[in-house]
Amino acid sequence: MQKISRKFILLFVLPAFILYTTFVIYPFIYSFILSFYQWPGVGKKIFVGLKNFRDILVGPFAEEFRNAFVHNIYFFALTAIFELGLGFIIAVLFVTTIKGKRIFQTLVYLPNVISMILVGFIWNMMLNPQWGLVNKFLKTIGLGFLAKPWLGDPNLALNTIIAVNVWRHLGFYVLVFYAAIISIHPDLINAAYIDGANNFQIIRYIIFPMVVPTLQTLLILLFIWSFNVFDIVYALEGVQAGPFRSTDVLGTLFYRTAFGGLGSSRMDFGLGAAIAVIMFVIVVPLSMFYAYMAEKRRRS
Amino acid sequence: MRKFLAILLVVSIVLAFAKTKVEIWSWRSQDEPVWKEVQKELNAQGKDIEIVFRAFLPTEYDSKVMMALKSGKGPDIIYSRRLPGVRTQSLIDAGLIKPLDGQVDFSNFSEGVLNNIRTGGKTYGVPFAVQVVGVFYNKKIYEKYNLQEPRSWDELVQNAKILKEHGVTPFFVPGKSAWALTMQHAIVGTSILGPCWIRRLMKGETDFLDPDWIYVNKILNDLKVYYQDNFMANTTDDLNTAFAFGQAAMVFYGIWGYGMWKQLNPEMEGNVGFFMSPPDCKCGKPWAYVFMDGALALTSNSKNPQAALDVLRFAATPKFGTIFAKVTYNIPAVKGAQMPNDPLLMEMTDVVSNHASPYVYWVGSVFVSGKPSLYQDVLSPGMQAMYAGKITPEELAKKAQDALSQWYEPLKKRLGK
Repeated sequence: MQKISRKFILLFVLPAFILYTTFVIYPFIYSFILSFYQWPGVGKKIFVGLKNFRDILVGPFAEEFRNAFVHNIYFFALTAIFELGLGFIIAVLFVTTIKGKRIFQTLVYLPNVISMILVGFIWNMMLNPQWGLVNKFLKTIGLGFLAKPWLGDPNLALNTIIAVNVWRHLGFYVLVFYAAIISIHPDLINAAYIDGANNFQIIRYIIFPMVVPTLQTLLILLFIWSFNVFDIVYALEGVQAGPFRSTDVLGTLFYRTAFGGLGSSRMDFGLGAAIAVIMFVIVVPLSMFYAYMAEKRRRS
Repeated sequence: MRKFLAILLVVSIVLAFAKTKVEIWSWRSQDEPVWKEVQKELNAQGKDIEIVFRAFLPTEYDSKVMMALKSGKGPDIIYSRRLPGVRTQSLIDAGLIKPLDGQVDFSNFSEGVLNNIRTGGKTYGVPFAVQVVGVFYNKKIYEKYNLQEPRSWDELVQNAKILKEHGVTPFFVPGKSAWALTMQHAIVGTSILGPCWIRRLMKGETDFLDPDWIYVNKILNDLKVYYQDNFMANTTDDLNTAFAFGQAAMVFYGIWGYGMWKQLNPEMEGNVGFFMSPPDCKCGKPWAYVFMDGALALTSNSKNPQAALDVLRFAATPKFGTIFAKVTYNIPAVKGAQMPNDPLLMEMTDVVSNHASPYVYWVGSVFVSGKPSLYQDVLSPGMQAMYAGKITPEELAKKAQDALSQWYEPLKKRLGK
């Protein structure tokens, strides 16, 4: 009986195992091996040992790598503040009984269903310095001095991308916080009201502490996503991550080095794979910590 | 038995009328009508060929081609980049594109053009276009303010000043498209520095810290007061729209834009003028930056190599050049083509023949054949940084010096490295 059940277990595990091996394990091992080679994508691979890692960390690509890495950290910090902060505040507003909240819920979540490339297209038009809606609007209401080259000013470009990213993803965080807040037992909140607590105190001492585990999970996920960010930068600034790499992140650096194209300084899958391996090394410990936290919470 | 014969008959008829497909991949979406015309011509010659044309984003094209060919798939013909260059060279090294010597008649091409697609004594493609870059201007705007084509840099600046005083945007510059800023540097630098100076740079007799090079950086930086507001956030798409609809008087661009401007605004027909970037003073001579754009290469994965060769043989004839020029308003690489009766294209043809600088430092030059490249790594991000006020013209020169002296032997030798 025991043998039969094991067979069944294996049988059920097999499809997932095959898929996971094919699409996760194999590409990772292949990337890891490739990171020791120089290879433009065709022809013979040349073994270069640790040269690719040296090039990235201390060699000719070190400056670009550091620049992109710092941007990833900055991206994470700002998206964490705005997406989680605003997400929480809006979720709290949604649990109240304000009129027309359904419409607001839909409006906040709507950008989430738009593909990132379309988001890039829409915002590229909206932010056009001459005929974009944003600058036109600012000029119309008499704030023309605020009209800027949003995606062309090195001091503004990354912040603009982050703002678009917040616009695109905010709905998701609102939804998760909203679910966490409505799962708080109403008795806790009612008891606090009876004890004379005001709304702010209820948020500060009951709602916020109760959603902290959710916040932790979202923070870790956000970190992982921030280090894998590519599409929004690509859609708004292209692989060149301009102006002069002021919006470069590890994802665009990887793309440029691996696939070449306009604005790329080298086309080498080995170098790209080395960047991917480093990204993996940064992200995996936190992913494991996230898995540990999730499991711990499940058990408790 | 009857059924079998009937099916056999139907299959035979279908096969008899089925055309041999030749698939072509390109980064130039504007070329699709060219291949429709070519197919008509080939069909008229009795060759049952159907050309399937697919265009990809230029930034993604090379990786798509490489991936497809590497996995044994892909098209019969690809648009390949000029040599020297790692993208085409790696395809050649891996045997993914085939030499065409002895199979295609190259007698209608100049040696200079063919050198851009030759390596190891073999020719790996049929060149399709020669590009000219320079300053294009709106004739009506020039006429309205009684301006003349400038013969010196000062005259160009003076024109810009007059236009600005009248509320006209003198130049539309796509600051977000870094490659176009490098092109602008090359357009201006070729005339200001002149081919002899560039030759000295190539030989290591001078370097990027030469005051002449810094001077080019400076005059470009000074010119930015005549660009449109917030120019750093504009792309080449914006440039095309703005220039086509008369929102700016001048652009630093390539002849490939002409077709697009006319498509956007048919009134641009006959309204576009061209001049080579002027030299520093009237006593100097202007030079044009001319380069071979790319070639049509036969892939080793071609399913119909004979039909593909028929297409390539046709692409090496003046008739193809005539179709190409008529549809795209680009200058075909093949000699003897009949150009459309358009004064601008006539002028371009003259520029290619008589004013092309023999020495250059952007595409097609030795300075982009190594890493870090003067184009991708120095001028593209460097021009943006200079225009944004993050670095000075002197610092941009130093960046070029530091980058190129890492690998360019004549410069290394000069600096005692």
